[in-house]
Amino acid sequence: MGGGGQGASEGVAIEARGLARSFGERRALLPLDLDVRYGEITGLVGPNGSGKTTLQRLLVGLLPPTAGRARIGGVELVGEGVAVRRVSSYAPGEIGHYGELDLEAHLRFLVAGREARCLDRALEIADRLGLPRGVRVRGFSHGMKRQMLFAAAMAPEVSVRILDEPTEGLDPSKRAEVLAILEEDLATAKAPRAILLSSHHLGEIDRIAARLVFLERGRLLADERAADLARRARRLLRIRFDEHAPRERLLAAIDRLGASSLGWQGSTVAIELACDDPRPFLAGLVSQKDLPAPEEIAYGRLSLAELYRDLYGVEGL
Amino acid sequence: MPRPWWTAFWASLGYGILLLGALVAAMAYYPQFAENIGKFKALAPLAVLKNLVGELEEGGLWAYVAGQQFFKGCNTLGTAAAVLFAAGAVAGEANRGTMEIWLARPISRTRLLWTRYAAGAAALIAPVFWTTWTIPLQMRIFDVPGELSYGLLTLAALHQSALLLAIYSVTFACSCNGRHPLRIAFVVLFLTTLQFALYLVEQLTHYSLFRLTDVQHFMAIAKDGLDPALVLPLVGVSALSLGIGWWLLRRRLPL
Repeated sequence: MGGGGQGASEGVAIEARGLARSFGERRALLPLDLDVRYGEITGLVGPNGSGKTTLQRLLVGLLPPTAGRARIGGVELVGEGVAVRRVSSYAPGEIGHYGELDLEAHLRFLVAGREARCLDRALEIADRLGLPRGVRVRGFSHGMKRQMLFAAAMAPEVSVRILDEPTEGLDPSKRAEVLAILEEDLATAKAPRAILLSSHHLGEIDRIAARLVFLERGRLLADERAADLARRARRLLRIRFDEHAPRERLLAAIDRLGASSLGWQGSTVAIELACDDPRPFLAGLVSQKDLPAPEEIAYGRLSLAELYRDLYGVEGL
Repeated sequence: MPRPWWTAFWASLGYGILLLGALVAAMAYYPQFAENIGKFKALAPLAVLKNLVGELEEGGLWAYVAGQQFFKGCNTLGTAAAVLFAAGAVAGEANRGTMEIWLARPISRTRLLWTRYAAGAAALIAPVFWTTWTIPLQMRIFDVPGELSYGLLTLAALHQSALLLAIYSVTFACSCNGRHPLRIAFVVLFLTTLQFALYLVEQLTHYSLFRLTDVQHFMAIAKDGLDPALVLPLVGVSALSLGIGWWLLRRRLPL
């Protein structure tokens, strides 16, 4: 997959180096390096307040960084970022709207400065999402306003789409429709395109994202391929013991058996296995007669959210 | 027509109709006023007002027209319009939570600012001119004796516009840094009302901003034309305020 613009690194749509932002004393985003590749949907995941929106605003030039640099679609982010916004589109997470406008007028406002065909495409997407054309936007529900912003961000022919929680507040069928539009957009793009999609619903984003970037408290916690994460999730094992079980001895035994302990939650220990088959590990564990018998074993049905909780101790996904 | 221009067009039309209504009433009343001016002078409660009526008596038709259209009509309705058009220009976006979608398009902030400034300024200034240019027609309709040239009327409208534009520009700069258009409007309207009140106090009248657009100045325009020493500083205030507004908007966060 080639780069989208002049001087773009091979296959890299968004390249951030040491990008950081503070608001006074508060450090909203710690220096961060990030590569988002063309041809992929990259999920930006993190609990509320983790810095997802700040990062996205930085990438489209709406916020000036306090440190670092970024290149989006082959264009260096400088000044107020007009050049970057020409090669990218952005659906904000905060829903602002002009209630007195109807759908078409509002979309016309949102796609101002884009190519001529853009409004027609935005209207097509809005029709597909079932948004009513003749109604003033003030009569729209929260979810409908979000879909309108989504339609406007999906319409331009750009190298990079940056979407801040586009499915938040939507019902399940509309969520599925939005995700389907995203996948189609990438599959039918005439030129290399990348999508950076944020959400605090990991369970949803992992369905379509090829890569997951995880933020917490302004810090880049992990940047992994979704397939690798799924494999790690499959290797995750949780065993509950009696609350008086000897934890030190149990941890030592886990270590001897070649697995990694991820820590205790109450009387349950989370373990990352070295291979996909849990049987050798479990056989080894139960064979040690000096250790207490497990009360409950969970394997193979852990979600990515649980994986993140176990790996990084992050709640709220 | 782009959205800011449509909004400005309708606002301008409404304000222009109000200004025209006040002017029509004044022109229709002129014959009676001219007959009874001596009585008005005797009835005037303040020394400043007595002087004002005296100026109208001496200045004849032009003094009356300038007093009604510019000193009274434009200084009150025009100032209110200037403040209301400018207060919400940028602060209104922050106030209703549309700042991010306004700024997130591939349009430079310089262009956004200039479009909004120009639309509001045009909406403010256009009615000053077009209502003023109806004066000769109204004189014919209401049988007002005398003659006023379009050249003089245009110069007077230019002079008045310079003051209104300065008020508009200062308010616009405040809006570029604010989040609450109503608060900005109230503060600026309070200050301009205070300035108008100062004009009516004999000892303080020279400290009033509206001294720049009183009857004496319009009489001077009829005699000597536009005074650059008055107009250029007002234009300078507008340019400086616009520059400050631009600087503030470039630094503004999309919140």
